[in-house]
Amino acid sequence: MKRSLFDKLWDAHVVEELPGGNALVFMDLVVAHEITTPPGAIAIEKDFGDKLYEPERIVAMIDHVAPAKDAATAIQAQTVRVWAKRQGIRFHDIGNNGICHVLVPERGYVTPGMTVCCGDSHTCTLGALGAFALGIGTTAQAGAMLAGCLILQRPKVMRIEITGQLPPDATAKDLTLSVIATIGFRGGTGYVLEYTGSAVRALDMEQRMTLCNMAIEAGATTGIVAADATTAAYLAATPAAPTGWSPMQADDDAEYAATVTIDAGGIRPVVSWGTNPGENSPVDGVVPFDAPAESLAYMDLQPGQALRSIAIDQAFIGSCTNSRIGDLRAAAAVLRGQHVSVPTIITPGSQLVRRQAEREGLHDIFQDAGALWTHSSCGPCLGMSMGVLAAGTRCVSSSNRNFPGRMGDGGRVHLAAPAVVAASAILGRIASPTEITAREVVLA
Amino acid sequence: MIVEGTVLPIPRANIDTDQIIPAHYLTRIDADGMGEHLFEGMPDGAHLLALHPGAAIIVAGENFGCGSSREHAAWALLGRGFHAVIAPSFARIFHENAYNNGVVPVILPQETVDELMGARTIAIDVDNETLRADGGEPIRFSLDPLRKQFVLGGGVLKYLAAKIPAVRAWEAAR
Ligand code: SF4
Repeated sequence: MKRSLFDKLWDAHVVEELPGGNALVFMDLVVAHEITTPPGAIAIEKDFGDKLYEPERIVAMIDHVAPAKDAATAIQAQTVRVWAKRQGIRFHDIGNNGICHVLVPERGYVTPGMTVCCGDSHTCTLGALGAFALGIGTTAQAGAMLAGCLILQRPKVMRIEITGQLPPDATAKDLTLSVIATIGFRGGTGYVLEYTGSAVRALDMEQRMTLCNMAIEAGATTGIVAADATTAAYLAATPAAPTGWSPMQADDDAEYAATVTIDAGGIRPVVSWGTNPGENSPVDGVVPFDAPAESLAYMDLQPGQALRSIAIDQAFIGSCTNSRIGDLRAAAAVLRGQHVSVPTIITPGSQLVRRQAEREGLHDIFQDAGALWTHSSCGPCLGMSMGVLAAGTRCVSSSNRNFPGRMGDGGRVHLAAPAVVAASAILGRIASPTEITAREVVLA
Repeated sequence: MIVEGTVLPIPRANIDTDQIIPAHYLTRIDADGMGEHLFEGMPDGAHLLALHPGAAIIVAGENFGCGSSREHAAWALLGRGFHAVIAPSFARIFHENAYNNGVVPVILPQETVDELMGARTIAIDVDNETLRADGGEPIRFSLDPLRKQFVLGGGVLKYLAAKIPAVRAWEAAR
């Protein structure tokens, strides 16, 4: 049988077939952060003599609440810190840290052909490197640290072929939100999304990570992009500069359980108006007339309302979806010489990203515009710290989830690309970046 | 093993884990203390719980448990006395977390789930994979035969620990 890229990755890692269509699947790397790791690490210490399968196959960091915001989160961080030291695990403490899905690839810890898991749903981001990377729960992560394996049902593979070329104003974020709108918020359930096509090949590595990051928002097990020269160049420039990996490709005419074709030329900058990421429309459009009443009630919106008429209370640029250097450059291009009119938080995805941004002077552009430039953390993305929303307030965000309460109980979230968030921050309402450039022309 | 109790119906799809347990409660290094905050992220969560005091089984719409991987969602359900969720489908990570914590995930067709929304009590026979609503005719469902063992006893970590020699042998021959 002609095999997909995913089929090859899977076949290369199955240790044993198990009852009920399950398989024992070897994990080359386990990523561990301070929120979901401690109970599993403690269980292994208590019940299994503190013995990990191979500590060198683990990398740990403090990322979600970095630094700790209170006594409880300080205990979480300290638990991981002490555990990593005791076990000899690679560890990235505050100052040298980053959001796990930003830090792990930028350091060169993931190479094509690997399997990776983490107690974090957006681990699918790392599929951008041609790896099988998936999010799991605390107990499954503990199992991977204890025995080197996960128990998995083999997912089906959906080929998402993206043809043509993205228009200059559309980004990987718009593409990934459009994929979710096309296949549906649950449309990827039971599948791995294998992204192919000219528009995917044309994306740089950061954009591929943005694309794969939101595979989970379609319910998919993960997303994956085959490695190519872009991947090789990216890895060669990382601090670890890994060598010895070989790219894996799908066979020509590989069989897929489903295939979806999307024309990149039709992708527009979009913004979400509802309470799941699939509920999005072009920024220049309106809230759909058939939008679910429940979503609109939570978001306090009317069918037919122009999206650009929606006033906002806060803007956030950050998260594992859009906090890499390219994202910050895109935001800076809009914010240069402008001034924000609502509280705006800009949070780099890692400390390496932060330092690069500062070498380029982006932090000056942001702060001259009146935005808050922070150190790296998950920050307000998950409503735990550094900009939690008050009930009833509205935030345009470059993150990945707009569920009820995601950024704070009763808070309302509109997902968009960094440039759209930046334009919205300036105008105090949902806005298109072209409105800022048009304004500049008038002023000149 | 029988899981029995009154029903909390939530006739909506896509109940995500942020609604089940908001992130600001994910600050512990153990699984305790989550139950009292169950559904605090759901706009009508407190109201639903108050309407169905003492309920032990949730009947919900498609894609239950989507979103974040937080196992705290399963811990919050258990902490509040919920030992089973019946739905047409579950999000992958929640589905596994449920098995790993002894929250029985029962998958049934939408029509059956719609009917069960009106049930007062449900008794789930985990071993035989059948359930009865209000003492009615048994309804068959199927569980993952491997993960069912983790619910009935032993646990997944013990199972995996026993596999370590086989994994090492596989890795050596890789
Ligand atoms: S940035 Fe947000 S979505 Fe990404 S890992 Fe952190 S909390 Fe999760």
